[in-house]
Amino acid sequence: MSFPVAYPLILGAILFALGLYGALTQRNAIRILMCVELMLNAVNINLIAFGSTLQAATAGQLFALFVMTVAAAEVALALAIILILARREKHIDIERVNLLRW
Amino acid sequence: MPLDGDVGLLLPEIIVTLAAVVALATGLRPQAGRAPAVWAFLGVTAAALLLLIGEGRGQAVEIWSGTVLVDGFARLFKLVFLVIAGLTVLVAADYVRRRGIPPGEFYLLLLLATVGMMFMAGSLNLLTIYLGLECLSLASYSLSGLLRRDARSTEAALKYILIGAISSGTILFGMSLVFGATGSLHLGEVSQAVSSATGMTPVLLAGMMFLVVGLGVKMAAVPFHMWAPDVYDGAPAPVAAFLITGSEAAAFAAALRIFLVGLPSLRAEWTAVFVTLAVITMTFGNISAIVQTRIRRLLAYSAVAQAGYVMVGLAIASDAAVSAMLYYLIAYAFTTIGAFTVVILLARHQPADEIQDFRGLGQRAPLFALALTIFMLSFIGIPPTAGFFGKFYLFQAAVGAGMPWLAVIMVINGIISIPYYWGVVRTMYLSEAEDRSPLEAPWGLRWATVIGLGATLVLGLFPDALVRVVNAIQVVPGLPIAF
Repeated sequence: MSFPVAYPLILGAILFALGLYGALTQRNAIRILMCVELMLNAVNINLIAFGSTLQAATAGQLFALFVMTVAAAEVALALAIILILARREKHIDIERVNLLRW
Repeated sequence: MPLDGDVGLLLPEIIVTLAAVVALATGLRPQAGRAPAVWAFLGVTAAALLLLIGEGRGQAVEIWSGTVLVDGFARLFKLVFLVIAGLTVLVAADYVRRRGIPPGEFYLLLLLATVGMMFMAGSLNLLTIYLGLECLSLASYSLSGLLRRDARSTEAALKYILIGAISSGTILFGMSLVFGATGSLHLGEVSQAVSSATGMTPVLLAGMMFLVVGLGVKMAAVPFHMWAPDVYDGAPAPVAAFLITGSEAAAFAAALRIFLVGLPSLRAEWTAVFVTLAVITMTFGNISAIVQTRIRRLLAYSAVAQAGYVMVGLAIASDAAVSAMLYYLIAYAFTTIGAFTVVILLARHQPADEIQDFRGLGQRAPLFALALTIFMLSFIGIPPTAGFFGKFYLFQAAVGAGMPWLAVIMVINGIISIPYYWGVVRTMYLSEAEDRSPLEAPWGLRWATVIGLGATLVLGLFPDALVRVVNAIQVVPGLPIAF
């Protein structure tokens, strides 16, 4: 251990905030997905940083592996749904996807 | 570790998963017919029977290094999820065929979502809860988008997956903070670590808030509910009925475990947050429902309001409140699926999304109109229906916990909700339809309505039996923590 655990945690928090901000403000569906990936990677940084300081290193690393796997599945599914939209509507702008409004 | 005993405890999940695969395989044939639906139904029924009569009732056992827990709470929730899945199969059988949804995929995804819910309720390990949640979420995103030619369905799926992915990320961030503050993913160990160490309180509080927000999205709590009306309106109708009941109940099951087992020392904090969310959620849900003209959006906002009521139980979190919450969730599941059955029946013959389309249903399908009337009474909370006792026990719990003002807010909300539920009933009986031909009902829909109606009335007339069951449920399992 050469550096305090706070450094990666601050990095994680900044990444998460950036991702969340982007996910809530972007209009392009693919960009939203990329921002969600940022959020998940922030989680992974957290898990591994915490894991390295605690006795539970394996638990943290294992969790990070699961997060990566599930994230890949989620992205694949999201891209499939975006593809259906792109084929029919010829755009992927979520502001223009608004049939369902009260 | 004896493998046979462990596998025996997970047999319901294994059976449902196998049934899902068989349903997919039978659905691959060009002339699949009813086979996938039958297999799915058989699997769900077998798993439910096994839970009812199987071995190891009444004890709490933790297996596989503390990643899976089987206890009374898990059993009850698994049974509820299986009943919801079974009713959904009944409702969906005719819908899937008429709308040209690939049956193998539909039942596969439906059963996998159910398995995800079962793992969410059946674990004290954050990793397992997360995986169960994702299993449920990924399956439900695909289910909502299954009507590929319908622009509304695609839109529902897109909104659902984008907001769902953000909320999963938030839940995960909360879990990672809780893990960092306590050094464990097991909720039992988390609570021990929290009570012994105090230096990490800010990190833990932040983790708790992220968990509340992330789970709040899944429960459709205001202000995180934006996805709910769109998804419940755009997704295929049986899927909407399944998600509105099952997915919400699973989110509450996971929340009960995480907050009551893992973070009891932050009780004052999360009670305050949940009370606030509950009041906002039920008031906003009920008021928004008044202005809806589409029946499924009305039911969606009504679901938001009901989530607010259930959250009162989560906020108080006394024994009485938890039993009331379980009672409410069960009663609500039957009532909602029943109401959706009538919606699906009507939409079978004509595009019927507006409340106006219910004109004259009293003459066209008297039995279904009567059933929908009773479901609406149950939503409002008028005796002798299940909804009345659900609300009554929640009032009792609120008063018992020294928060009578919360009960008053619930009563006021109940009154706000009368006009919009009653408006549907009035439209059915007092307006004339242009098309007076009687509605033909397939047997699946008929049975689902009868079961929903029967359960709503039986739970309303004889609530004691279920009350005894839910009173015996312990959220915090009395077991030595396994390492």
